[in-house]
Amino acid sequence: MKYTSLFYLTLFLPLTLLAYQLCPQRHRWVVLLTASYFFYFMASLTLILYLWASTLCVYAVGLGMGRCDPLTHGRKRLLVWIGVGVHLALLAVLKYGPFIAGVANDVLALWPAAPHLPVFKLAVPAGLSFFSLQAISYLADIYQGRTKADTNLGRVALYMAFFPTIIEGPICRYEPTAAALYAGQPLNHHDIAYGSQLLCWGLFKKMVIADRLSPLVNNLFKNPAESGGVLAVLAAVACTIQLYADFSGCIDISIGTAQMFGITLPQNFRQPFFSTTVTEFWRRWHITLGTWLKDYIFFPLSMSPRIKALGRRAKQRHGRRFGQIIQAIIPLLAVWMANGIWHGAGWNYLFFGAYYFVLVMLGLIFEQPLETLAARLHIDRKAWPWRALQMVKMAVIVLVGELMFRASDVASGLAMLRSIFTGWDWKMLTDGTLLQHGIYGNDYMVLLAAGVIMLAVDICHEAGISLRDWAARLRLPIRWTLYVTLILLVVIFGAYGEGYQPVDPLYANF
Amino acid sequence: MEKLLAILRDINPDNDYESADHLIDQGLLDSFAILELVSNLEDAFGISITATDLVPANFNSAAAMWAMIQRLSKD
Repeated sequence: MKYTSLFYLTLFLPLTLLAYQLCPQRHRWVVLLTASYFFYFMASLTLILYLWASTLCVYAVGLGMGRCDPLTHGRKRLLVWIGVGVHLALLAVLKYGPFIAGVANDVLALWPAAPHLPVFKLAVPAGLSFFSLQAISYLADIYQGRTKADTNLGRVALYMAFFPTIIEGPICRYEPTAAALYAGQPLNHHDIAYGSQLLCWGLFKKMVIADRLSPLVNNLFKNPAESGGVLAVLAAVACTIQLYADFSGCIDISIGTAQMFGITLPQNFRQPFFSTTVTEFWRRWHITLGTWLKDYIFFPLSMSPRIKALGRRAKQRHGRRFGQIIQAIIPLLAVWMANGIWHGAGWNYLFFGAYYFVLVMLGLIFEQPLETLAARLHIDRKAWPWRALQMVKMAVIVLVGELMFRASDVASGLAMLRSIFTGWDWKMLTDGTLLQHGIYGNDYMVLLAAGVIMLAVDICHEAGISLRDWAARLRLPIRWTLYVTLILLVVIFGAYGEGYQPVDPLYANF
Repeated sequence: MEKLLAILRDINPDNDYESADHLIDQGLLDSFAILELVSNLEDAFGISITATDLVPANFNSAAAMWAMIQRLSKD
């Protein structure tokens, strides 16, 4: 079952809302849990066993840690490592097994007598990367005393399986999500209206923009060797817009669905293309993953006694800035490698992580010299022309990163990048080449109009204007005309039905 | 408190630390600034800040940081 399917939108969600409202408050969590397991079973069939095993594991390990004597720290540490280790092992075997075996075989091939490892490709349960991170964060929070071990299995199970978040996130924390899920607050008009608005907006981004771009992106990345410079740039732009519209659209559907039940989920995007630096971009793009990596990898590593001592020594010898860089370099490397490999098992994902690691480090190293230079040249770094220039710079950085991310391997990505400088041919823009890659003139028109709408909405949000509040204040006939128009835009211009391949949410594969 | 405000202004003089109460939530102090801040607070107040203390509630305002310093000084 997909969030964009007719079954989800016209049967599953309305029936779940109805059952939820009719049920007594103290049993509403059972409705949510049953619906979540039904949803997950439809997506993953018997692979639901992994979800159940993961849930039982975090519940049992959590309880074990909760019962530990505060003075016997070693036992608690052993338990948290068991819980985290089980989930890392699940990821390693199911998601990275073939990649790890392939790399090991490449290394072993250097010795002719060495054995060849068998490569098993096991079925991967949907949302494994998402619910594993939620499981690890729950265990780490208990270990660090940020939350208490929950004795209620139902609440833990619902936190792990809640159907709007299980496939693509946003990645939630036990507090405050679990309590809100379990509370069974009655439905109300405001939440239903605001949740529906967001869900429709998510459908617009996913079905009108992302899914319509899908054939073009697939086509352009299928034959990277044939792509000239124009097509390589088009591929980078198209895949970046597709990824943003797809992922942020699905997240809007998730947040909107949860809001209908009165549950507030964390934001995952905040107009990322208005960023002026790499670090700012990652504070606005896939926010819940960035926060997870910061809280569970960056801070624990950078605050470890050895790395703190290293930073302090560097600060004493070479100054404050150098100390800061030294203290951050190892944790940042771990964060960006984890970010890369979390997205998938492949060298291109590791390249993606390394790319951003280098950029963040360069930003850290050159921040102060550039600030001094700007002051000497009397450049106002807060003025809009400078900010606009920085946004263009960030757009180029993001496009290069997404091109490498989407390419089937590092060599293909590099070949496409090279072609931008060696195979540029302006004629491709007018000789009909652009119409030979899966989409046609009408598609480009729809994409242009929808892209302008998406950009306008992002500009309003960046300016602090809440369009949802504005829409809610409109007079009833005008408001409903707006809502019906949005629904009709999805129905008429959405890429679905005959001639279109259904497109899975892109991040569901990560 | 003045010592804390001086440390904060040294890290980023652009913020109004006496009134700001969402320094982390609004991104006014990023992860690198937090690392530098932790190092300076440890040196200035003779406290030890661990990863567990690195939650937004402890760093969102100067008052919250001061409360954390007081608590860690007693430990």
